Amino acid sequence: MSNKKLVLIRRILQTAFLLLFIYILWTTTYPLTGKIPSALFFNADPLIMITTALSERLLLPGLLGTFLLILLTFLGGRFFCGWICPLGTVIDFCGRIKRKKQVLEETENKKVRRVKFYILSGILISALFGIQIAWIVDPTVIMGRFVSLNLIPTTTLILDKFFIFILQTIEGRYEPLFDFYREMKASLLGVKTTYFSHSGIVFVFFLIITSAAFFISRLWCRTLCPLGAFYAVIAKHSRLRRVVDKCVDCGKCHTNCRMGAIKKDNIHYLSDECILCMDCIYECPPKSTRFTFKQGDLQSNTHASGISRRNFLIFLSTATLPLLGMGQKKPSLKDINIRHPRIIRPPAALKEEEFLNRCVRCGNCMKVCPTNGLQPVMVEAGSRSIWTPRLVPEIGYCEYNCTQCSQVCPTGAIKQLPLEQKQKVKLGIAKIDREICLPWKKNKECIVCEEHCPIPDKAIKIKEELINGKIVLRPEIDEDLCTGCAICQTKCPVEPRRAVKISPKKSDRF
Amino acid sequence: MNKQDWFRKKFSRKQFLQLLGAGAGFLASENILLKAALAFSKSDTSPGRKKGGLTGNYDLVSATGENPYQMTVKAIKAMGGMKKFVNPGSVVLIKPNIAWDRTPEQAANTNPEVVAALIDLCLQSGAKRVNVFDSPCNNAQRTYQNSGIEKIAKEHGANVFFANTWNVVRAKFPYESPMQDWPVFREALECDTFINVPVMKHHRLTKLTLSMKNLMGVCSGNRGNIHTDIGRKLVDITTFINPDLTVIDAYRVLVRNGPVGGNLDDVVYMKQLLIGTDPTLTDAYASTLLDIDPLTVPYIQNAIDRGIGSIDFKKANILKITA
Repeated sequence: MSNKKLVLIRRILQTAFLLLFIYILWTTTYPLTGKIPSALFFNADPLIMITTALSERLLLPGLLGTFLLILLTFLGGRFFCGWICPLGTVIDFCGRIKRKKQVLEETENKKVRRVKFYILSGILISALFGIQIAWIVDPTVIMGRFVSLNLIPTTTLILDKFFIFILQTIEGRYEPLFDFYREMKASLLGVKTTYFSHSGIVFVFFLIITSAAFFISRLWCRTLCPLGAFYAVIAKHSRLRRVVDKCVDCGKCHTNCRMGAIKKDNIHYLSDECILCMDCIYECPPKSTRFTFKQGDLQSNTHASGISRRNFLIFLSTATLPLLGMGQKKPSLKDINIRHPRIIRPPAALKEEEFLNRCVRCGNCMKVCPTNGLQPVMVEAGSRSIWTPRLVPEIGYCEYNCTQCSQVCPTGAIKQLPLEQKQKVKLGIAKIDREICLPWKKNKECIVCEEHCPIPDKAIKIKEELINGKIVLRPEIDEDLCTGCAICQTKCPVEPRRAVKISPKKSDRF
Repeated sequence: MNKQDWFRKKFSRKQFLQLLGAGAGFLASENILLKAALAFSKSDTSPGRKKGGLTGNYDLVSATGENPYQMTVKAIKAMGGMKKFVNPGSVVLIKPNIAWDRTPEQAANTNPEVVAALIDLCLQSGAKRVNVFDSPCNNAQRTYQNSGIEKIAKEHGANVFFANTWNVVRAKFPYESPMQDWPVFREALECDTFINVPVMKHHRLTKLTLSMKNLMGVCSGNRGNIHTDIGRKLVDITTFINPDLTVIDAYRVLVRNGPVGGNLDDVVYMKQLLIGTDPTLTDAYASTLLDIDPLTVPYIQNAIDRGIGSIDFKKANILKITA
C-alpha cells in the first residue's frame, strides 16, 4: 500500500466517524428506531465507563465494548485518538488551518505532556473514593454536548429560517416546495426547533478546546485529554511499532508530528504519544518509515515519558485536591432527593448523590426529550450539578407515554422502567397558586390544567362553587395521583409565572 | 526558536481585557441573535373563509352501524354524495381531532376509519388534494402516530403534515370579538372545502367536545387563553372558518375524564355518526345523544343567543339510517 493511501484512509475514516457521531445524535429523537444505539460512542469510552463503574461499584454493560477498545489499543496503540475520536477530528481540522507548525523543545514538551496523566489519575482516584468527575474533561462527552446542545439546534434553526424566508418571499405559494419543507420538518429538521438555555457556555468550552489547535497542533490531546492519557498508558507497550530503516536526517517527521511524539534524532519516538496519524510515513522522503508488529528490530522503546516517583507524589496530591471541595457529603444526604427546590429531575432518576456520580453530562436525554423540557442545569445547585438535566416546565413537560430519556442514558443515571411503571413515577407534585389562578382569584372559566392532565382518573379534581349566581369550576390537586409531569404548568395560560407549579420535594428517586 | 512563539509569549493587560470583552460580547449576542430569529416571521390578516352555502339532501344524517368506514360512506351517500361538497380539482381540508397521545381505542382522537372514508370519498369526487392536519396538545409526532390517523390517511392518499406556527394569518372580524387578531393556521383557510371531523367526548368545562370545540385546533398562539369566555370565542372562530361539512364521530365515546381519557372503562361504544351542514344543529343533536341539554353547552348556547344556526330539531330535515 502506498504511503499516501494510508493518510487518505485515515482522513476518510475520521470524517466518517465524525459524521456517524453527528448522525447518531441527530437521530436521537422520536421515534428512536434503534438501528444504532444512541449511547454507542459513550458506551465505548473507557474513561467514563470505568470511572462510573468504579465510583458506583457496579458493572455497566458498556464495559464490554470498552474492553474491546483496550485490547485493540494494546495491539495497535492510540489509534482511537488519531482515527476515531470525533473531537480529535475537529481539532485536527483546526490544526490544518495553521500552515507553520510549532515545535516544542524536548523539555517543554515533556512538561506539558505530563499534565494529562495528572488529570487522569485525579479522575481515577476520585472515582475510587466514589466521585465521578470524568465528565468535566472527557472528549466524547465534550463533543456530545456540543453536537446535541449547539450544533444540531443551531443548524436546524438556520435551515428552518432559511426555508421560511424562501417560502415567504415567493409570490404565490409554490406547493411542491412547501410540501418538501413539510417533509423536511417531519424528518430531518424535527417538528419542534429545540433550544437549550445557557448552551453558549457549552460552545465556548468547546471553542477553547478546539481553537487551542491554532497555536500548537493537537494541544488538547497532548496536554490535557484524560482519555488520551488512559490510552497512552496502554499504548506504551503496544505491539505496533514505528521503525525507520534508512534515516536521511531531514527532520521532517520531527517538525511535522502533530503530537510531538518524534524525538529530535528522527528515529526514536514516544509510543504512548503516537496516535498513528501516518503523517511521518507519508512525509518521509526516502520512504523508509513504516509501522510493524514485528518485535525484532525495536529501536524506539527507549524513552521514559511515564511516571517517576516524584511525579507520582505530585499527582497524588493533585488528585486529592478535588476531594477537598467535592468530597462525599455526610451519609444522611444520600436520602435527600433534592439539592435545590426548583430542579426537577427526569422521571426515574437515581437518588441525587448517585445521580450526580452516574450522570456523565452527555446531553443525550436533553436531545431526545420530545418537548424540549429537559434543559441543562447551570450552577444553581452547586458546581457538581453543572450540565445535568432538569425539567423546565415553562419550556416543556414530561410526556406521559414516553420513556426515551432512560433509553438513551449511557450509564443508567435515569433508570429504565417499563412504560406502565414510569407513568406512576413521581417527578414532584403540582401545587396551585390560588393568588393568581384565574378560577380561584378572578372566578373565570379556565381549568386548562384539568383538561391536559394525562392521568386517566385525573390528578386535578374540580371543585364546583356557586359565586354570584354563577358556577365556577376550580382546580384542586389530588396529591396521591399527581405525578408531577408538569403539563399543567406548561399549559397554564397565566404568564409569566404560572398559577400551577411543580415542587420536586416528594419525587420518587431510585 | 521562533520569536512569535505563542507558548512562551506573555499576555499584556490590554490583550487580556480584549479577550475578556470578546468573550462577553459573544455571550451577550447569543440572546440577541435568538430574538432576531424569532422576530423574523411575519403574518398577514384574513377576513376568514366565505360561507359556501353548500347543502345536502338533508340538514342532518344520523347513521348507526358496526363498521365506521361503511357508516361514513353510507351517511355521505344519504346526504347526496360527496360531489355536492367537493368540486373536481379542488383542495379539501379534513380537520380531525388529533390532540392527544392516545390509541384509537381510548377514544380521545377521531376514529381513523372515519377519516379514511372521507379521504376516499373526496378523492373519488375529484379533489385535487386532501389535506389532513391538527395542532396537537401533546407532542405532535407521538400524537399523529399513536392516534393511527397519520398512517391511515397517508395510505389513502391524503397529505398529512404538522402545523407550522409561523404560517399563520391574523383573524379579522367585522364585529367586536375577543378573537380579534388571533393567529389561525393558513392551511385552514386556503381550502375549497372544509370538513370538520371531531370526536364526541366528555370535557369538563364545555361538557362536551364537539365540532366547534374541535376548531380550536386551527388556532395557533396560546390556546389556554381561549378557555375564558369559551362559548363566545368558539362561535367566533366557527363563523370565521365556516366549515362546509361537519362529521361528528360518535363510534367510541369517552364519557368520563375527558378530553384526554385513558381508561378503557370510560369508553362507551355508541356506534353512531352524525353528518350535518350546520355546526350548531349538528352539535346540538349530538349532545342529545348523551342526554345533555344543548343549552348547557356554552358554545351552543352562545350560537343560539346570537342567532347562528338553529337547534329546532322538528323543523330540521333529519334522516336516520342504519348502515
